[in-house]
Amino acid sequence: MTFLSDIWYVAWRELVKFFRSKVRVTVTLIQPLLWLGLMGNVLQGFAKAPYVQWMLGTKSYLAFMTPGIILMTVLFGGVFSGISIIWDRRIGYLEKMMAAPISRGAIPLGKMLAAAIQGGIQVLIIVLIATALGVRFAAGPAGVLLIILIAMVFSTILSGFSLAMAVRIKTQETLMALVNFLTMPLMFTSNALFPRAAMPSWLSAIARVNPVTHAVAPIRELTLHGWNWGAMYIGIAVIVGLALGMALFAQWMFHRATVE
Amino acid sequence: MNAAVEVENLVKVYKGGVRAVDGISFSIKEREIFGFLGPNGAGKSTTIKCVIGLLRPTSGTIRVLGADVRRDPGVVKRSIGYAAQETAVDDRLTGWENLYLQGRFYHLSRAEIRRRGEEVLKLFGLWERRNDTADTYSGGMLKRLDIACALIHRPKILFLDEPTLGLDVQTRKTIWEYIEALRAEHEMTIFLTTHYMEEADVLSDRVAIIDRGRIVALDRPGALKAAIGGDLITVRFSSGDGLEPVLAALRDLPGVREVKLAPDGIYRIVVERDGDRLIPRIVRLAGEHGIGIHSIRLKRPTLDDVYLHYTGREIREAEGSREEHIRTRVMSWRIRR
Repeated sequence: MTFLSDIWYVAWRELVKFFRSKVRVTVTLIQPLLWLGLMGNVLQGFAKAPYVQWMLGTKSYLAFMTPGIILMTVLFGGVFSGISIIWDRRIGYLEKMMAAPISRGAIPLGKMLAAAIQGGIQVLIIVLIATALGVRFAAGPAGVLLIILIAMVFSTILSGFSLAMAVRIKTQETLMALVNFLTMPLMFTSNALFPRAAMPSWLSAIARVNPVTHAVAPIRELTLHGWNWGAMYIGIAVIVGLALGMALFAQWMFHRATVE
Repeated sequence: MNAAVEVENLVKVYKGGVRAVDGISFSIKEREIFGFLGPNGAGKSTTIKCVIGLLRPTSGTIRVLGADVRRDPGVVKRSIGYAAQETAVDDRLTGWENLYLQGRFYHLSRAEIRRRGEEVLKLFGLWERRNDTADTYSGGMLKRLDIACALIHRPKILFLDEPTLGLDVQTRKTIWEYIEALRAEHEMTIFLTTHYMEEADVLSDRVAIIDRGRIVALDRPGALKAAIGGDLITVRFSSGDGLEPVLAALRDLPGVREVKLAPDGIYRIVVERDGDRLIPRIVRLAGEHGIGIHSIRLKRPTLDDVYLHYTGREIREAEGSREEHIRTRVMSWRIRR
């Protein structure tokens, strides 16, 4: 029980700070509006062509794009998790936590939980905005709940990776550079924003194994078509597996680096 | 009397071969304020971090209240409080939230945190500001909050690593008052490190002087000062004539080691101890010989002199040398990991 409590209070600290920062909360609200409202509506023009509609699997580019925006948002959120560890080490807070009788593993897990909760809130906002812009989620409210859950699990893959790297990397600038180097290609070699049918074959091959594509599959299925487990279970299994693996990896890195 | 902390032959060698702590032994009694005095890079923080279980010693044994740090780190952690050199306060949280979180990390209940939190915040004069975020606090307030956090779980021993580093003189004295109040009212054992002579002198019951990873002297500040030599009395007579009989009589006084004339016309009298008691006798002697005294001063050895005596350097010199500079940088890099 104390392990769960430790995780929760590590997360609690991050969440209190998140909600206290008006800028961060405002950006969280406005960003999806920009993506969906601006990019979604501009590209909607392309979707008028029947061939494009065939590639997208829907008449609405906005509906096609919404799962991509959901994942992009949690991806960018999760990936910066590690910065908080670097910051904590700088101000001595990391050491303060480790001098307390809390479980060391609770520190990365708590930060992953905080990133997941923030991501979940962001996804809910995106769903609401998309609904307002005319997207109808085929799987209904329960489907939306599962979408949020998948996105949260997906976010822990990125936050886990970022935290594991932050253990070794000593400056925020280096971590940001590494993270940016990885996230953009990860996003654009997936089918989050563009259908694989429109990709050249080599890119399509990369997209097929990209974890973002695996996360997109169940979310897009729930958005466009409804409850179809046959099209969802592989994606969900891959995401859950990767999340667990990353959680263990982050903990292992953390243990290794803090016991000297 | 039981020992609160017992350290035997502690050695810590960092990766890369820097011997930060090189065979240190000491024991701290209960309800004692024990000071570790030395320049940056002497091994003070490394010793503390080994004692509280943040660093793994290369060799040696450490017992805190009878528990082995390596074997029962949980027991040790629960019975001690630690305020690091860096003031580890989250400045985006309020004072109360910082304290609350710390209480939760020590697995205290909400009610315990509320009761104990109010007590320590009032003790440290922060109760009125508890709902302000810590980024509005002054440096001294942050340090006080940090120490208050270390007390939330009622530790038996408090470890303070450079508690007044970087604070101005006034704030430093305030912190000292709080530390003394802690010992007086809460019967706490306190282990503090410092590179301020005055701090070690004023606060500590006993001081260990640490230099390049070794303890070179350990005793009460008064005893350390007495051990290196006596008091110095400087006398300026009204006139330079007819002094010989007085000087001869002075040399015969018990405890006087040496009387000599400095180029500035002032006589320096080195005595073994209790220089203050000799002053009236000197005045009387001069009077008996009809010699007037213009001024008389007593100078006692300071901890600076003690430090100089044992290490052959002034503490500021020690920090300035290139070798020490490199050593300090390597160690602070290692410690932060």
